[in-house]
Amino acid sequence: MSDHEIDRVKTGIPGLDELIEGGFPRGDTILIAGKAGTGKSILATQFIYKGATEYDEPGVFVTLEEPPHLIKRNMMRFGMDLEKLVNEKRISIVDLSPSKEVTPVTIGEYPSFDLSGLEAIILNHIKKLNAKRVVLDTLSIMAYKFKSRDILREEFFKLAATITRTGCTLLLTSEIPADDHGLGVFDIEAFLASGVIVLYNEKISDTSRSRSIEVLKLRGSKHSSRIHSMRITDEGIRVWPGEISPGT
Amino acid sequence: MADKKKRKASTKKDAIEKIEVVFFKSDTCAFCPRAEEVVRETIEDFGSDAFTLKVINVSENPESAEEFGIFALPTVMIGGMSVTGIPEPDMLMKMVLGVKVLSKKKEGSK
Repeated sequence: MSDHEIDRVKTGIPGLDELIEGGFPRGDTILIAGKAGTGKSILATQFIYKGATEYDEPGVFVTLEEPPHLIKRNMMRFGMDLEKLVNEKRISIVDLSPSKEVTPVTIGEYPSFDLSGLEAIILNHIKKLNAKRVVLDTLSIMAYKFKSRDILREEFFKLAATITRTGCTLLLTSEIPADDHGLGVFDIEAFLASGVIVLYNEKISDTSRSRSIEVLKLRGSKHSSRIHSMRITDEGIRVWPGEISPGT
Repeated sequence: MADKKKRKASTKKDAIEKIEVVFFKSDTCAFCPRAEEVVRETIEDFGSDAFTLKVINVSENPESAEEFGIFALPTVMIGGMSVTGIPEPDMLMKMVLGVKVLSKKKEGSK
């Protein structure tokens, strides 16, 4: 590898690496944005699963939304047995979903807090597994959990910097609200990440929709500037690099 | 024998009446020292005998924060309710009173 060549992390999504010079730059923060039902969580989970099974890179999946048993169930239909990887200590699933029974009900919030708790929880898992990949799914839920968005915005920058400083590549998912043209509820999502990937599931006729993927930015990489076809197959997400989405 | 029974009963009553206050902090959290002061002062004002204060340093014990799903600090947890940030004493008092009302209701329904 020459001095100018960037070390890349294989995404584990067939076809995607070809659009981004071979993978995500190692240690970068990548944002996966899309409206509900576009496949963000599947893509992010596949990144963690394939990292552990094909590239010997342990991963930490932090779920702020969906409870782990549902994530495991949903990924099994793609033949991805997350439970096995958890037992083998090749991945960990950190449950910070609202469904946890012991989580207290927040009745008050004062604009004098930080996310050092979340940071400590994630760093603990990274250390235990010697993880190389981290997913935070989904950033958007924080907007509903906390009122103080200014604090959150600042804290996200700190959190992303702390995680990537360990050498991990960080994937953040962000849900784009319906009828919104931005990349998420905080309006800073694009600044947080050095790479932004947008997923679509657009209606192309009265009876059908078409899935597609766009690499909006990826610093330090020559990436495709087109919108490519993407499908959710029996083996997970697959991108067709040579196929331009019919919906665009 | 009767004495023993009586002692046992009063210990149980004490345990019910003591309210557990859990304070989550971290080494890097700038707001935590002031929040801890507020919590300790409020407990003192209320009568410290009625409380047990448990301080959890998340930097040393991240598993506890994960167990309770606490990721914003400082957070004070009293009886299934929590406040995040430097709390106002009034809010803590409301939480304490809420727990007392709930425990009385529970006792009443027994």
